[in-house]
Amino acid sequence: MNYSPVFAASRITVSINPPFIQANMGDKIIYTGMITNNSDKAVNNIIAYISLANVTRGKEEPMDLEDWSANKAIKVDTIPPRGTYEGKWPMRLIDSGSYVAYVMVVDKNDNIPVSSAMSRLEIKRVLRLNPNNVLPVALGEPILLGIVCIFIYFRRKRVK
Amino acid sequence: MKTAYIMQKEIKESILTPKGFLWYILTSVILSVLSYLFLTNSELSLLDQGEMLYMIMNFITALGVLIGLVFGADSFAGEIERGTIEALFLSPANKTEIAMGKLGAALTNWGITFIISLPYLFVVGKGGQNLLTGIAYLAILGTLLVITFSAFSIGLSARIKSMKNSLIISFFIFLLAGSPIFLSSAQRGTWFGMILDLINPFADAINTFDSVVIDSQGFSYQIGRVAIICGYTFLSLWFLKRSASRLEM
Repeated sequence: MNYSPVFAASRITVSINPPFIQANMGDKIIYTGMITNNSDKAVNNIIAYISLANVTRGKEEPMDLEDWSANKAIKVDTIPPRGTYEGKWPMRLIDSGSYVAYVMVVDKNDNIPVSSAMSRLEIKRVLRLNPNNVLPVALGEPILLGIVCIFIYFRRKRVK
Repeated sequence: MKTAYIMQKEIKESILTPKGFLWYILTSVILSVLSYLFLTNSELSLLDQGEMLYMIMNFITALGVLIGLVFGADSFAGEIERGTIEALFLSPANKTEIAMGKLGAALTNWGITFIISLPYLFVVGKGGQNLLTGIAYLAILGTLLVITFSAFSIGLSARIKSMKNSLIISFFIFLLAGSPIFLSSAQRGTWFGMILDLINPFADAINTFDSVVIDSQGFSYQIGRVAIICGYTFLSLWFLKRSASRLEM
């Protein structure tokens, strides 16, 4: 394999959109990655995947996207000469904090993966007091059963 | 029918009482806490609906089996210790009919538990896949498991004639059968774990729930496991009949 960083940098370029997202925990967002083939030859069998890093102060670490995104990697069969491919990465925002997201593209014919610029992601923590409208059932059913229990108790007392 | 008479008597004495109803209030409180925990916890609330539904189905099944085991442990041994077994034997029903009546009452317990669980299943599984299919499988497999474990517990109660010992043994059997809930799927993925899973009717049920609710697999994938559960059900009923018929005062 020839080492040719200049060639690798000009063959494929990738961008990520939107460049900045502010959202709440639990929201669903979609990142769009535009992969451009800048050469006169088609590129085949490339892999594009999204990465996320937590940049919250004191919590800096790369994120395991298992719970965030079901389809982290996309395999692109071919991009024609001077053509583009638009990939979409839906994501569910699992935890609050400051993050950066970027798309990496791997072409096995080149020895340097290509990265997009980083997109900033700010996720706010949200207090959920009644998710899925659970409170009427969670509170109502024990109360209802308690009322039935009291009714049975007084009914039995009256019979005695 | 004599079995129905015994069943009705058991329901009046054990279920339709304030003390008996406490079981259902406690069941409801536990399910309320669990549902709220699932839906509000910062990570668990963001689990797939299918996974939450699967987890709560496992818990409801475990609860039904546990109540059945406790009810069964008291059935004959409790009557002997309270001195009411003689009055029971003087009734027109034979021992098998008495045992079946008690099993019917245990099933009624499960039926009420299942009905109490329905609102929680709907609220946790709302918007997710395979909710109604999951509930149908819970109804069928839950019933078979409750029959299996309750029949075994009632039979054990008839043989051991001591409620304390019967309860302890039933509880250990519950821990053994219910161990898949406490062990991770990785631990059960070894060859030994897979064999244990296959022969354990409780594990067969929860693996079926996983297959139906999370993996959306059809009935053809479940036939083997359902057949094993049915086998255990027939075995337990046979054990109950033999144990009841041998019961002496």
